[in-house]
Amino acid sequence: MNLSDRIDELMPLVQKPSRYIGNEYNSVIKDPEKVDVRYAFLFPDVYEIGMSHLGMKILYHTLNKRDDCWCERVFTPWPDMMKLMEQNDVPLFSQESRTPVKSFDLLGITLMYEMSYTNILKSLHLAGIPLYQKDRKDGPFVICGGPCAFNPEPLAPFVDIFTLGDGERSIHQFIDLFKSWKASGAPREEFLRRAVSEVEGSYVPSLYDLAYNPDGTVQSIKPKEGSGAPELVFKALVNDLTAADYPEKLIVPFGEVVHDRIMLEIFRGCTRGCRFCQAGMIYRPVRERSMDRLLEIAEKLVNATGFDEISLMSLSSGDYSCLPELAHEMVEKFMARRVKISLPSQRIDAFLKDTLKETQKVRKTALTLAPEAGTQRLRDVINKGVTEEDLMRAVTDAFSEGWSAVKLYFMIGLPTETDEDILGIADLATKVRRCYFSIPKEQRSPGLRITVSASVFVPKPHTPFQWCAQIDAETIRHRQLLLKSELDKLKGVDYKYHEMDVSYLEAVFARGDRRVSEVLRLAVENGCMFDSWTEFFNKAGWDKAFADAGIDPGFYSSRERSLDEVLPWSHIDCGVSLAYLKREYQKAMRGEITPDCRKGCQGCGMTRYEGACR
Amino acid sequence: MKLVYVYGKEGRMRFVSHLDLQRFLQRALNRTCLPIAFSKGFNPHPILSIAGALAMGYESDYEVFEVKIEGTVDKSTALETMKNALPEDMPIKQVIFRDDTFPSMMSLVKMADYEITPRDSLPELQSAASAFMRTESFMGLRKTKSGEKEIDVRKLCLKLEMQNGVILTRLMLTEQDTLKPDVLMHSLCTLAGIDDVSFRAKRTGLLGVDRYGAVKLITELQL
Repeated sequence: MNLSDRIDELMPLVQKPSRYIGNEYNSVIKDPEKVDVRYAFLFPDVYEIGMSHLGMKILYHTLNKRDDCWCERVFTPWPDMMKLMEQNDVPLFSQESRTPVKSFDLLGITLMYEMSYTNILKSLHLAGIPLYQKDRKDGPFVICGGPCAFNPEPLAPFVDIFTLGDGERSIHQFIDLFKSWKASGAPREEFLRRAVSEVEGSYVPSLYDLAYNPDGTVQSIKPKEGSGAPELVFKALVNDLTAADYPEKLIVPFGEVVHDRIMLEIFRGCTRGCRFCQAGMIYRPVRERSMDRLLEIAEKLVNATGFDEISLMSLSSGDYSCLPELAHEMVEKFMARRVKISLPSQRIDAFLKDTLKETQKVRKTALTLAPEAGTQRLRDVINKGVTEEDLMRAVTDAFSEGWSAVKLYFMIGLPTETDEDILGIADLATKVRRCYFSIPKEQRSPGLRITVSASVFVPKPHTPFQWCAQIDAETIRHRQLLLKSELDKLKGVDYKYHEMDVSYLEAVFARGDRRVSEVLRLAVENGCMFDSWTEFFNKAGWDKAFADAGIDPGFYSSRERSLDEVLPWSHIDCGVSLAYLKREYQKAMRGEITPDCRKGCQGCGMTRYEGACR
Repeated sequence: MKLVYVYGKEGRMRFVSHLDLQRFLQRALNRTCLPIAFSKGFNPHPILSIAGALAMGYESDYEVFEVKIEGTVDKSTALETMKNALPEDMPIKQVIFRDDTFPSMMSLVKMADYEITPRDSLPELQSAASAFMRTESFMGLRKTKSGEKEIDVRKLCLKLEMQNGVILTRLMLTEQDTLKPDVLMHSLCTLAGIDDVSFRAKRTGLLGVDRYGAVKLITELQL
């Protein structure tokens, strides 16, 4: 039996076979004989999550536009399927042609969140690819990109090349390099060496030496002599998004996926400068797609997919420079075709009454607002430039326009936080509730629902809080319970919060150095995988892995760093400069805000990049 | 006006569940430029119905869905645009027009024909098949939402013969009386005194009964 038939044999035995059948509408099939480069794109989580990832859609499209390359998708199989594959000797395979991942030329892996790292190792194992980069003599080069690549060290021993920044151009440079390297017949190492100079944003960890201080901190990360690798690796930057490739077709999954709709990226980057937010730093500067281009893409995608919803995506969609016009045009254009327009990540201060009305015409979902912190003092510390008045104005507008459901997002454990800030969250919820009841009964929709959701703050690299300690588990639990007891007093208010264990691990791997890779390997041996899924989170497996590796997780999560410590990612430049991050940290500690740089340059360092911030 | 399409479900499409297929067809209809009629209400969707849900894992040469349209469309447009909106392993074979007042295809289904290809144990199944058809009654269990229900497998099997290693059979398919190929195969294996044999099944027709009592494909029924 061939591999495809052997996979089919497993289908009656698994939940949701549609995760593995491939063949979805608009998936790309090519003749393997007619392409030079086979690229496997692995999203290290289950199909429904991976198929909701915009980056994969963009890169899949841009690669498959080339005649010389075939990009196929790969997902980590759900544990039921994984077990069957192991029992039946079925290797990790691609969705499109069901080719073993091991026989591809390049394996791209996207790093969206730290808690998918075990799935990466598990997937390499299933593919039969040696875990350690140094042990690979053949098979695909493993290339990792995405936000977590900005602290590559915890995965460094497993990866051939990290690719930093925007992928639309650099991924083509990889294909060109691969063809040229293959034709040259040079050894494997030569591909890595050439990537450094021929592919923008490339970091090749095997070309660097690390030294540690007696106290366990990093002393230095230096390129090996003669390697040609740079001291500081700059990210790749695509300045013109209007001209950049964007999918004109999207794969239409059979089963339901998380974002089962057209995703339209209206701009990239955010200049609000919220100090906790890694995305707000590493995706700088703001680059908008023109309205004409967006309307053109939207039309093509509606025709090509049959989806009945378009989601306008970005880090802060309310900041799009002509949002009211765009929303208006979109609604006009697609209303007759019953296509709904939705705006996620709504920012309250950018909330325009007209936009509210436009989106309501097609759909009225819960209004999502993210004040992030409960008091003005703490909001100033994190530079969330939102006041209580902004919030009250936004919810009052929404309630009087017929909304009755509001979601409020907060974080617990922010630097300088006290119990008073937690009580401030309950106070805000009380005031939001009051806004609703202040509107005459006949003018508001019935059934008020306020959801307060509080996640645990994880300090991230390349943010002004990269030096901060994560608050200890005991304090976090105390504050979660304090908030719960306060919110329990309010009718119509739900409270959602997360377990501390996962956030603690996330904090370790977000700011880990190369040594924590050993913990990852041991955790996978102990059966850890799908860690962000509560049903699979295996705390005992992790505890044992840390103990066996002799690594104290608290060193990485709960330790305050001094501003002159060499951080494990100090050789990576994400766009903003170290000087800016330090300045922002100090301003945070003084409770001073920094305005959005659209109102005047704040000297974040982006101007060091050619063509950025014109 | 209703458009009634006959289509196949082949290859890997057999692993697409009924619920997923419904959503998939809705999107396919959105991709056509047909003047589809939409339901009223907050989340309008095409007025679409699939006749006789096919269990996951089975292929089919003859599946039927119908969709209501507003206004008119010519036959070749109806056929071509639907073909273009579907993948190769879901081939559109035919389209027919029916008035809005014509009963739903779903309500016409009384029985279905299947081709079942067992992987092995052919001689045992051959003799079990003959013995099965000679008995008057053979009890088996059908899984339902609420648990298991005892059914007379023999009475729900209207035809059964084996040719060249393939079992050709006609099974009841109504709300009250339904027999699925897996239950039939389990019965045959029990009768043969062997473990369950793995098999592939393909539906080859959905059938109804006309006013003269003749059994016909549901798309050929004139009422």
